[in-house]
Amino acid sequence: MAKQVSMLKADDLSKRYEDGVLAVDHLNLGIRPGEVYCLLGANGAGKTTTINLFLNFIPPTTGTCYIKGIDVTKDPLEAKKYVSFVSENVMLYGNFTARQNLEFFAKLGGKQNLAKEQYYQVMRRVSLQEKAFEQRVKTFSKGMRQKLGISIAIIKDAPAVLLDEPTAGLDPKAAEEFLEILGELKNEGKAILMSTHDIFRAKEIGDRVGIMKEGRLVMERTREELQYEDLVKIYIDYMKSEPLTA
Amino acid sequence: MLKTIVRKELQENLYSYRFPLFAIICILLVPLGLYVNNLNYIKSVRDYNEQMRLADEAVASIKMQDVMAGNVSIKGFRPPSLLSIISQGFESALPRFYVFSPDGYMPGESSSGEASILSVQGKIDFVFLIQMVLSLVGLLFASDVIAGEKESGTLRAMLSNSLPRDTILVGKITGGFLALWFPFIIAFVLGVVLLLVRAFPLFVGDTPARVLSVFLAASLFMLIYFAIGSMISSSSSKTRTSLIVILLVWVSFQLVIPRVSDMIADVIYPIRTETQVSLEKSLLAKSVDTETSRELGRQYVLIYGNEDSSGRGDNPTPQDAKWDAVKKEIESNARERKAQQVKQIDDAYGREKRIRQNIATNLSLLSPSAAFARLLADVCGTGEIARRKYDEAVRDHGRALDVSLFSRAKRTVIALPSGKTSLRFSIQPIDVKALPKFTIAPASLAEAFKEDWASLLSLAFWLIAPFAAAYVRFLKYDVR
Repeated sequence: MAKQVSMLKADDLSKRYEDGVLAVDHLNLGIRPGEVYCLLGANGAGKTTTINLFLNFIPPTTGTCYIKGIDVTKDPLEAKKYVSFVSENVMLYGNFTARQNLEFFAKLGGKQNLAKEQYYQVMRRVSLQEKAFEQRVKTFSKGMRQKLGISIAIIKDAPAVLLDEPTAGLDPKAAEEFLEILGELKNEGKAILMSTHDIFRAKEIGDRVGIMKEGRLVMERTREELQYEDLVKIYIDYMKSEPLTA
Repeated sequence: MLKTIVRKELQENLYSYRFPLFAIICILLVPLGLYVNNLNYIKSVRDYNEQMRLADEAVASIKMQDVMAGNVSIKGFRPPSLLSIISQGFESALPRFYVFSPDGYMPGESSSGEASILSVQGKIDFVFLIQMVLSLVGLLFASDVIAGEKESGTLRAMLSNSLPRDTILVGKITGGFLALWFPFIIAFVLGVVLLLVRAFPLFVGDTPARVLSVFLAASLFMLIYFAIGSMISSSSSKTRTSLIVILLVWVSFQLVIPRVSDMIADVIYPIRTETQVSLEKSLLAKSVDTETSRELGRQYVLIYGNEDSSGRGDNPTPQDAKWDAVKKEIESNARERKAQQVKQIDDAYGREKRIRQNIATNLSLLSPSAAFARLLADVCGTGEIARRKYDEAVRDHGRALDVSLFSRAKRTVIALPSGKTSLRFSIQPIDVKALPKFTIAPASLAEAFKEDWASLLSLAFWLIAPFAAAYVRFLKYDVR
């Protein structure tokens, strides 16, 4: 079987902010279609910066991000056609209903002229309550907002999905439901990069798990390798270890 | 994509509490302001007509002996400006009339003398509403146009799509402005309908073009403030910061710059008052008259040999002919000298006023509000051009009355060397019906735009610069 090309790829990626902080340090990463990559790390380890670099929210200091082989810095608009993004606090318009939010972001994602029923179907798929479809989002719980966020990613139907701590603050049931949907997306062949603090769920859903510390990817394990290792122990050991830079 | 963002922006505004609030303010205040000012205008026209009738009666009853005694004065009234219902401008500040007399002309009272103490805070006319209320609302609407999306994180969500940043910016500004503009259009149309119902002469002369210009200028002004708000919003990461800056900018543009400009002009170029100048002219006339009388007295004694000669008897003598010639020459020289010196005073005062006005105006044009108010006042015929035309009309009318009335009755005062004075009268026929009527040449709309190029330039700057700044700031914004 021919080796699959990475859908999401970071090539020697570094980011140093204006204040001198090196947020990402020579990161090399490749995520294939149908693969879930979980990025673990403490706050400030560089997980969100990595995602921001993939979305061209900030320019890299060195290195390149590729989405479907497209250089994100050189052609961001083309690259972003192939990626969906769900953040920790799903950003939605509070005065809009769930359907209106979905419709707006679907249109931004290039899905024009969808019927109302198509939006409803996506929301049903993520188990959002039927009565919430036409309710204003400002009344939604965090779990409901997350579901709507993943609906937006689903409706865009992009081959790559970036998730920035999507299960943070969710109750166990909502987090479980969220991971189920993620599993479905994976089975559809999406390449998923998820930054998270949730070690247990990372082990559960991730095909590969990486640990970031001070901007560097200090460890990477496959699902198979983790069957014989204790991820929690590895994580804590890395967090306790000496700083990488003086 | 642009359409999607514009539509979303419109929808978001429609669902917010501020939109109905603004719509209500707009729909209530614009027609109400026009209605009330229309009532004031009707009252002013009625007063003007009545005063004109009384003035005409007074002119018709002018008696020759009054003219000879120099006791005649004629009032020239300024008609109310039709579009003062939109922009009061100088309407209530200018004298309602001037009093013309053989000694020159003096300003009468202004209509602001009848105003209540509340008018000190500014009368609510259409321009005031746009300038004070809608500018602030425009800024407030724009305060969260970018900063709000940054704060809520929705900007990250938008930018994660294949969407050019300039499309987002243009879409958001367009949508936000339309949400501001639609209630204004409704309010304006309602106001116009109300005026038509009240039989306001809206279709007289170039009034429709002027009203359309007012509408376009007001729309442009709102867009300018929206652009300024957007610029501030795109430079702030929080709506609260944006709001504070917006309020400071608004206070500077509305209250500080226009007033400070006037104060600075007063300090660096103080000028005399109109009354002072009138008195100066009056004193000059008296001084010339006194000198003329003395010169006539000297010549009289030289020609007739003594002060007691009564001069012309039944049979004209060679001295009489010589006296007539000398008297004519002295009086003619005096008249010329007086006219020349009065003109010099008028010209010098005109220059002073222009320089002071230019300093104040040019400084105030740093504020788009001042530029807008100036432009609209001129478009509505209540601005600087109207004031200048009024001044010119007063001067011309003064000269015309001098020729056709005041100089027809000559009182020749001969101040004899002994200190005695001799009064001689000569009179030419006066046709009171043919006396010139006081009229003010109206300024055309084209003239208003031509003269207000600096205001237009200021408005153009304040439209383009904030957009450009917002664009640059937004393109360079690092999303984190």
